[in-house]
Amino acid sequence: MTTYWKQVWVIIWKDLVLEIRSRERIASMAAFAVLAGVLFNFSIDTTTTRTQDVAAGLIWMTLVFGGLIGVGRTFQLEAEDGAFQGVLMSPAPKDAIFLAKTAANFVLLYAMSLLVLGVFAVFFGLEVGSNFPWVALVLGVGALGFVALGTLFAAVSTGTNMGETLLPVLLFPLLVPMVIYGVGTTTRLIAGRPFDEVEANVRMLGAFALAAVAAGAVLFRYVVED
Amino acid sequence: MSTAGTRRAAIALTLAGLLGLVALYWMVFFWVPTEVNQGVVQRIFYVHVPAAWTSFLAIGFAALASGMYLWLRDERLDRAAMCAIEGGLVFATLVLTTGPLWGKIAWGTYWTWEPRLTLTLLLWFIFLGYFMVRNATEDPEKGKRFAAVVAIVGALDIPFIHLSVIWFRSLHPEPVVARPDGPTLPGDMLITLLFGVLVFTTLFFGLFLFRYAVEGLRSESDLRARSAA
Repeated sequence: MTTYWKQVWVIIWKDLVLEIRSRERIASMAAFAVLAGVLFNFSIDTTTTRTQDVAAGLIWMTLVFGGLIGVGRTFQLEAEDGAFQGVLMSPAPKDAIFLAKTAANFVLLYAMSLLVLGVFAVFFGLEVGSNFPWVALVLGVGALGFVALGTLFAAVSTGTNMGETLLPVLLFPLLVPMVIYGVGTTTRLIAGRPFDEVEANVRMLGAFALAAVAAGAVLFRYVVED
Repeated sequence: MSTAGTRRAAIALTLAGLLGLVALYWMVFFWVPTEVNQGVVQRIFYVHVPAAWTSFLAIGFAALASGMYLWLRDERLDRAAMCAIEGGLVFATLVLTTGPLWGKIAWGTYWTWEPRLTLTLLLWFIFLGYFMVRNATEDPEKGKRFAAVVAIVGALDIPFIHLSVIWFRSLHPEPVVARPDGPTLPGDMLITLLFGVLVFTTLFFGLFLFRYAVEGLRSESDLRARSAA
């Protein structure tokens, strides 16, 4: 079992080092997050709508679209170099590869979602206050569900000749539970309601994330086999 | 089952389904009493609900066949999954056309985020994704595997989608929800509904077997063409 987690860790480390050195995905995701905040600001007429009321929805939409940019390219770099064959031929089991890829994507997406929260708090004047740890938890659980499904279907879409354009078609219908529970809980937490009120929904979000990770770990081997 | 046997079964089931459909329409238009609150429009219910049931049966059946395909790699299982999804797409389209027609009169609006209608719309997109993935690979075997994964994950996601859209709905209550609840349905209506479900299920399997036989013939002719070449 310890070899298993060592294999997982090696792949996570490889992906993160690659990301830190190239800054390819994190830079575009971060720029996207800030610019989306700017555009969303102009998409709201503040004479009719209070930005605080819709901010949670916008945060999650930014997370979904920004996540697509990052997750969609999970396998792109390795596929272009033919390096992914090497990863697949390594002694690591396929589910270890999936878990590692998902974890590396999670680090990226979670960093981005915290940035989004910060940027939107500044742009829209949100007062998250004492609920900040809970909002951070909800964003983390949601991001986990997103990257699990995203990584699985990024492997699928990379293998097709449609590439990343296929990813939203496959992903968006499946992400509806994440968006509903995520936005619902975040809206209430930002409005200063106690965590008890949304706990059941956070649990549902967690169940969704765990189911997504489990399904991905089981099914990934059928996607990448050759 | 041989292809000829599948075809015979397909003809038998489809004929039974079509005859049942005639009987169902007779029941819907002449036999079943008119619902008090909604009037005549409620009769679309006997087509709408069985179609919805059939499309969910289709995704369940397809996910099962897909899982078995990934395990056993029998081409027939993949063919069964694909034909079921195709049938599901047809019946889900039926739900999504009858729903708004009914909704316009019963609720006063073509579209409302009613949980079951929302779920069917998302199911329709899952079906669509299945075919897009399947046709987007150069290697057909790869497309089959990818499509199987889409069907399985889609079926697993449905309970989550269902729960979440119900919860979402509870946040945004609609003023009028005119939807008959199963158990409280009066006898005649319940019989018509159950008969409708039976007819649509029979028809689904009839059409399914037809498609399945066609796909069988196609792969046979492919095989022959390849051995001749």
